[in-house]
Amino acid sequence: MSHDYYIWMSYGAAAIVVAVEVIALRIGRARALRRIEEERDLETQD
Amino acid sequence: MNWFLFSSPSTFYRLAGSLAPWFFVLAAALAAAGLYIGFAVAPVDAVQGEVYRVIFLHVPAAWMSMFLYFVLAGWGAASLVFNTRLSAMMARAIAPTGAVFTFIALWSGAFWGKPTWGTYWVWDARMTSELVLLFLYFGFIALANAFEDPRRGDRAAALLGIIGLVNLPIIYFSVQWWNTLHQGSSVSFKGTTMHVAMFRGMMLMALACWMYAIGASLVRVRSIILEREARTRWVRELRGRPGVGAAEGSRA
Repeated sequence: MSHDYYIWMSYGAAAIVVAVEVIALRIGRARALRRIEEERDLETQD
Repeated sequence: MNWFLFSSPSTFYRLAGSLAPWFFVLAAALAAAGLYIGFAVAPVDAVQGEVYRVIFLHVPAAWMSMFLYFVLAGWGAASLVFNTRLSAMMARAIAPTGAVFTFIALWSGAFWGKPTWGTYWVWDARMTSELVLLFLYFGFIALANAFEDPRRGDRAAALLGIIGLVNLPIIYFSVQWWNTLHQGSSVSFKGTTMHVAMFRGMMLMALACWMYAIGASLVRVRSIILEREARTRWVRELRGRPGVGAAEGSRA
């Protein structure tokens, strides 16, 4: 019996989860930078 | 060397930014080497056949899930004892990566269990305590973000992190304390019962996971620092620099 399915499901899911985390890191970084820009805009308005 | 220098968010922000890419490069190189040894060099297992190769993912992920929780609790304790801002931020930064590794350990364990045990899941002591660890990570993340004042969230989450430490010895010793379906440890400080190629592949993958976890935590803590310190003078100076939005942003 081939066990390819179980191996692929393990490594494939791990790759997807890691990819999602990397995307989430980029989104978090972009959000933090946007926050800085918002602070700058607020200060400019003041 | 004055290590407390790096407890300043502004200093650590720059240090983390210069170190994180190297950890990701190391993680990729070690993972490539580990997977090559695991799939091309290590022999087929006499009993389990090819499916044992899940070990090169499952065991390192399980180790990291416990180790990262230990580090998280350590940073949490440091934040409570020394009241340092960066410690709490580090604990927050580690939690999602710890949850990722816990999920990978549980998921890969299920897909290893089906062909070898005949089932994806049983309420076995090792598996149940690992699932509790995943819920502890979720609880930590939820609690840290449940308060309007982030410092209150830091303290509450740190306390949960420290209390949750009790689960780590339960996970580790569960296979000795109870009659479990999960096998005992093949690797200890005394040595290993594994084939040398299997052992090398597994250790390389463990190192790759370790490097990835450090890199991901460093990137995340930089975002947390920026959000928390958005109104401080050093961030104002940082954003005053040309290209902070583009060059700094693309570095993540």
